[in-house]
Amino acid sequence: MSIGSQLLKGVLEGCILAIMARETVYGYELAVKLQTQGIDVSEGSIYPILLRLQKEELIIGEIKKSPHGPNRKYYQLTDKGKKSLQAFRLHWESLKYPVDRLLEEKEEK
Amino acid sequence: MEMIKDNNQKRELLNEKNKKLYEDILVYVRLSYNKSEQETEEILMELLDHLLSLQKEDRDASELFGDNPRSYADEIIGELPKTVTRKSLCLFGMGVCYFFATFTFFQGFLTTLLSYIFDHIQTSRTYALGTVFVNSFSSVVIAALVVYGMIRYLRWSCFNTWSKAFEVIFTGVLFGIIPFGLFIALFYFMPAFGVVINLDVYWLMPIGIILFLIGQWLRKRA
Repeated sequence: MSIGSQLLKGVLEGCILAIMARETVYGYELAVKLQTQGIDVSEGSIYPILLRLQKEELIIGEIKKSPHGPNRKYYQLTDKGKKSLQAFRLHWESLKYPVDRLLEEKEEK
Repeated sequence: MEMIKDNNQKRELLNEKNKKLYEDILVYVRLSYNKSEQETEEILMELLDHLLSLQKEDRDASELFGDNPRSYADEIIGELPKTVTRKSLCLFGMGVCYFFATFTFFQGFLTTLLSYIFDHIQTSRTYALGTVFVNSFSSVVIAALVVYGMIRYLRWSCFNTWSKAFEVIFTGVLFGIIPFGLFIALFYFMPAFGVVINLDVYWLMPIGIILFLIGQWLRKRA
């Protein structure tokens, strides 16, 4: 796996947690929300991540019967997931500006 | 299982191209035999729902599965939780019991039946227990290898487009002729050893039934 895709996976995980902190979503809905945020990843890439987050008990999925549409699996954060999101936020904050600055400096030369 | 039935019905809503692709993925993922069934069916259902939504918007399946569906399926399988080993062991034991139950029962039943029709068929057989044990054990190993080989083959063939004729010959030799030849060789060439007992063949029927009941019991425990 390239460094790029590993980095992307970690960031994507954080973004998924952030969305679920706001509301419960099902798979397709989540993909649409990521895209409207401008995070343009292959839609399928969310499913392996959802499986991993469930295994790590950061999120929990529940199949809800719906009277009209199909039954859907809705995901929400667990307490462990909330803590993990908090950690991601700290990491991101501490990296965001230094990395930006570093990359910009290089381009000026 | 409810979800499998749901999946079968919903799959009919896919167009031909998507259906072919989805079913390849479905078979491939389901054949990863050591994964939790519940989780497997849930993710398959989610992918199906997602694909149906894409289809409604006239978007291509590659937006979901990427350009390499096999590697996408591998990624999914890699994240699925493994099923508990006890369950797999029980299911394996169940398979073994059913296998011998069928074999023993019908041998007893058919031989007894035929002995009423043809006078020269003997109703009493001599068994060398050592040979019986080794042959039975080897049969289980061969049968398990065949099943494992078939699973591997089916998974491998999921995203292939081979000619049907070639496939029939290839699988026939690999999973039919070779194992069958091995079975024959085993029973023909194995020397008799161990304690020798005489048994009237109708006794094979109750033995078969007992094996079947043990199989049932293991199935309930799984």
